[in-house]
Amino acid sequence: MRSGTSQIRLSWQEPATGELREPLLTLPVALGRVLDQMPAQLQGQPVSRIVLDSGQLSRFHALLTLEQGNLTLTDQNSTNGTWINGVRQTRGILNSGDSFQIGPYRIGIVAAGARAAARTVRSSEESFIQLDEPNEPEQAPERATSNFPPACFRSQQVRVQDLYATGLPVEEIDYAGVGAGLGSFIWVDYLRNFGVSRQQIKVVGLELEPYAKYQRLCLNSQIPAHERLRSNSDSCPDNLWGWPSYALREAWHDFQKGSMASAWRYLWQVFAEPTLAETYTPRAGNVFASIDREAARIGWEQMYQYGRVQAIRKTNDGRYAIAYSRGRGDHAFLVTRYLHLATGYPVVKFLPDLQEYRERTNNFKSVVNAYEAHDHVYQQLERQGGTVVIRGRGIVASRIIQRLYEARRRNPNIALLHLMRSPKPQGNKFGTAQRTVENHFEFQPFNWPKACWGGELRVQLEQASPEQRRSLISDWGGTTTADRGDWKQIVQEGLNQGWYQINFGEVIRVEPDPQGRPTTYIREKGPKGEIKLDADFIIDATGLDGKVKSSPLLNDLVTHYNLPLNPLDRLAVTNHFEVAEMRNDRGRVYAAGAITFGGPYAAVDSFLGLQYSALWAVDSLAAARAPRLKSLKGWASYKQWLKWVRNQAP
Amino acid sequence: MTPTLLGRWQTRILLFQTVGLLVTLLFTEGVIGPGGGVFLWVLEYLFIFGLGWDVLYNYLQKFRWDRDWPGALQLAAGVWEAFFIVLVIGFFGLPGIFFLDLGWFLVHYSLVWLAIYIASQSLMRILFPRWRFRGGVWL
Ligand SMILES: Cc1cc2nc3c(=O)[nH]c(=O)nc-3n(C[C@H](O)[C@H](O)[C@H](O)COP(=O)(O)OP(=O)(O)OC[C@H]3O[C@@H](n4cnc5c(N)ncnc54)[C@H](O)[C@@H]3O)c2cc1C
Repeated sequence: MRSGTSQIRLSWQEPATGELREPLLTLPVALGRVLDQMPAQLQGQPVSRIVLDSGQLSRFHALLTLEQGNLTLTDQNSTNGTWINGVRQTRGILNSGDSFQIGPYRIGIVAAGARAAARTVRSSEESFIQLDEPNEPEQAPERATSNFPPACFRSQQVRVQDLYATGLPVEEIDYAGVGAGLGSFIWVDYLRNFGVSRQQIKVVGLELEPYAKYQRLCLNSQIPAHERLRSNSDSCPDNLWGWPSYALREAWHDFQKGSMASAWRYLWQVFAEPTLAETYTPRAGNVFASIDREAARIGWEQMYQYGRVQAIRKTNDGRYAIAYSRGRGDHAFLVTRYLHLATGYPVVKFLPDLQEYRERTNNFKSVVNAYEAHDHVYQQLERQGGTVVIRGRGIVASRIIQRLYEARRRNPNIALLHLMRSPKPQGNKFGTAQRTVENHFEFQPFNWPKACWGGELRVQLEQASPEQRRSLISDWGGTTTADRGDWKQIVQEGLNQGWYQINFGEVIRVEPDPQGRPTTYIREKGPKGEIKLDADFIIDATGLDGKVKSSPLLNDLVTHYNLPLNPLDRLAVTNHFEVAEMRNDRGRVYAAGAITFGGPYAAVDSFLGLQYSALWAVDSLAAARAPRLKSLKGWASYKQWLKWVRNQAP
Repeated sequence: MTPTLLGRWQTRILLFQTVGLLVTLLFTEGVIGPGGGVFLWVLEYLFIFGLGWDVLYNYLQKFRWDRDWPGALQLAAGVWEAFFIVLVIGFFGLPGIFFLDLGWFLVHYSLVWLAIYIASQSLMRILFPRWRFRGGVWL
C-alpha cells in the first residue's frame, strides 16, 4: 500500500442477514458499537466511523490507520479482542486479501488505494435470481397488457360495490391466507383446530401441496426424500402439539418392523441431544407424508384456491380485497375480514460476481445456485470427473459436499475447492457461551440457538427494542451448519486425501477460460497475491433473501399504505405478528415466515417458528372474538388431539 | 422444550403436585412398599429443594450455547437431587422424616422422576399447546 492513497474497500457479510457490504472508505476508519464513542477526528483528519451491531463488540473496538504507508489495524483495548488472519492480535499490518474478525464480523480488505476506488461492485442487493416457479397456465405475459387490478385499487379504501361492478367473480370469506405454502398451511391448521370451519377459510397460492415449493428447494439443494432435514424432532407442521414427535413416530415404525437398534437410537438421540448424541432430525419424506395426512384431515384442498395475488387493499367496510389472477387472463377478487400473509422467500441471493458471469457469458450450466435445479452438475461429474468450486459454508454447502462425496464413489476424479472469504478462527460468543468451530465450519444443531424458539432467548428478543433486536440477531445468527458426524468425517477425509481443499480469499473476478470453463481469480492473503482457480463448475450455496422489496406484491402493499419496515427491511410486525398499520376497523392482517424476520422472533423461517407465529396470531384473533374461533387449551386441546390421533376432521 | 426459570418453577409446581402426588399416594397407602406418610414428606422436601436447584440449573444453562437442557441433563439433575436429599436426611435429618428405607426411597424416587419426565414430554404439550413456546410457563 502506497502512502497518499488513503482509501480502502472493506468487505463483510452482515451476520444478521447475510448481506454483503463493500463500502469504500477514507482512512482512518474506526469500528465499534457506539458512534459517539469513536473519535470524529484524528490528527485533524475526519474519521470514517463504522457502527456494527453486536454485543460482542466494544463501543470503540478497533482503528484502521495509515502508518508509514502501511495499513495498520489497532485494537482499542476491546473486551473480546481482534483476530487478524485467524490470530488474536492487538496490532497488525494488513494487505489486500487479508481479513480480520471482531465479534461476529469477519471483514476482508478487498483492495486498497487507487484500485479500491476503481473497482466497481454490483451491490448484493441487486444480485438475485427468481426461484423456479411451477408452470402457470397463463400464456401471455398478462401483467403488461391487462388493466387488472382495476382503477379503484388506486384509492386507500376500495368500495366492495366497485369490485362487483367490474363483473369479475367476487367471493366473501372470514379468513384468507396468501401464499398457500407451509406458513399458510400451519396457520390454517391452527384455525381449524381452534374451531373455524372449512367454509370460512380460503387460501390463495400457486401450488396445491403446501410443501410444493419447499420440497423443490430441498430437492434442488440435494435433500432427497430419504435424507434428513435440519429440523427438531418436535417441529411437526402436521401436529400443533408436537407430540408424538417425529423421533417417536420413526422409532415406533422401526420397532414394528423389528429394527430395534434404530428405534432405540432415535429415542436415545432425543434424550441426549445435542450434548451426548447427534441431534435427531426427521427424514424429508416422512415430513411430507405427515403433511399430506393433516391436509386431508383439515380439508386443505377445499380451502385452496389457485391464483397469483396481485394486490391487496383495505375495503370501506373494515375488510380487505385481494385481487388475484387465475391464469389465462382470468381474474377474481376475494374479500376477507382476517388476512394472513405467508409468501416465503421471493428470490434467491446470487453472488454478484457469479451473476455477472452468467449474464456476460450466457452460460447458465457451469455457474449455478444451490437452490436452483442443477442435477446436471453431478451427472456430468459422475461421467467425466472434474473440479467444483463451492462458495458459502452453511448447511447447504455441507449437503452439497456430501452429494459430491457420493459422486466420488462413482468417479474418484472429482475434486472440490471450497472458497471461503476468510478463515473462521472462533465461533460467535454470547454471554458466557460460545459456538464451536472445526475446519472453519461453525456448528449449531439448527439455524438458531435452540432457546430462540421457546426459551430464554425468545423472551429476551421479544422484550428488546428494534435496535437491540438487530444486535441480538447478529450475535445469535450467522452462517452455521449441523454438527453431523458423517459430514465432519467427509471433510476430514477429503482434507487428508487432498481432494477437498479450503481456499481463502476475496474474489476479484470470474472469467471463462478458452474452453469456456469458469476461472475464479482470487486475492489470497499475504504476498502471493492473485491466484487462479480453474473449475468445471461453481456452486453458489450462500443463501436466500427475504427482503420485502423483492416481492412485487409486498412492495406494492408497503408503498401504497406507507407501512414501516423493521431494521432488517422486512415487514414490521407486533409481538402477535400483526401488521398493525393495516388494521381496518375489525379487520386485521397478520404475517409469518421470512418476510417478518428481524422482529420479535428470530426463528420465523422454520416449521416451529411458523407454528409460533400462527399460535400468537390466532390467539390474538380469539381475544378479538373472531367468528367461531375459540382459544384452545386444557380439555378442549386434549379432545382435538384425540381427533388428530384418530384422523378425524377437527 | 427449552426452559426458562419461571417455566421451570411453574412446571415443577404443577407436575409435583399432580403427577408426583399421585405416584406418592400409591406409596403412602401401601399399594407399593410398606406404606406411611414419610413418602409424602419426601416428595414435598424434594419439591422445595428443587425450586432452589432450578435457580442453579438456570444459571448453568447460560454456559450452553443453545441454552437448552436436554433429557440427559434432567436425568443427571435428578440423580443429584436424590443424592442430596439422602445426604441431608442421613446427616442432619429433616422434620417429619424419622426413618427412611433407602431401597424404598429409591423405588419411590425413580417412579416419581419417571412419571414427571414422561408427563412433561407428552401430557403437558397436549393440555397446554403454548407451554413449549413459553419455556415451561403454563399459567
Ligand atoms: C432448502 C431449505 C430447507 C429448509 N429446511 C427446514 C427444516 O428442516 N426445518 C425447518 O423448520 N425449516 C426449514 N426451512 C425453512 C422453512 O421452514 C421453509 O422455508 C418453509 O417452506 C417456509 O414456509 P413459508 O410459508 O414461509 O414459505 P413457502 O413454503 O415458500 O410458501 C410461500 C408460498 O407463497 C407463494 N407466493 C408468493 N407470492 C405469491 C403471490 N403473489 N400470490 C400467490 N402465491 C404467492 C409461493 O409460490 C410459495 O408457494 C428450510 C428452507 C429451505 C429453503
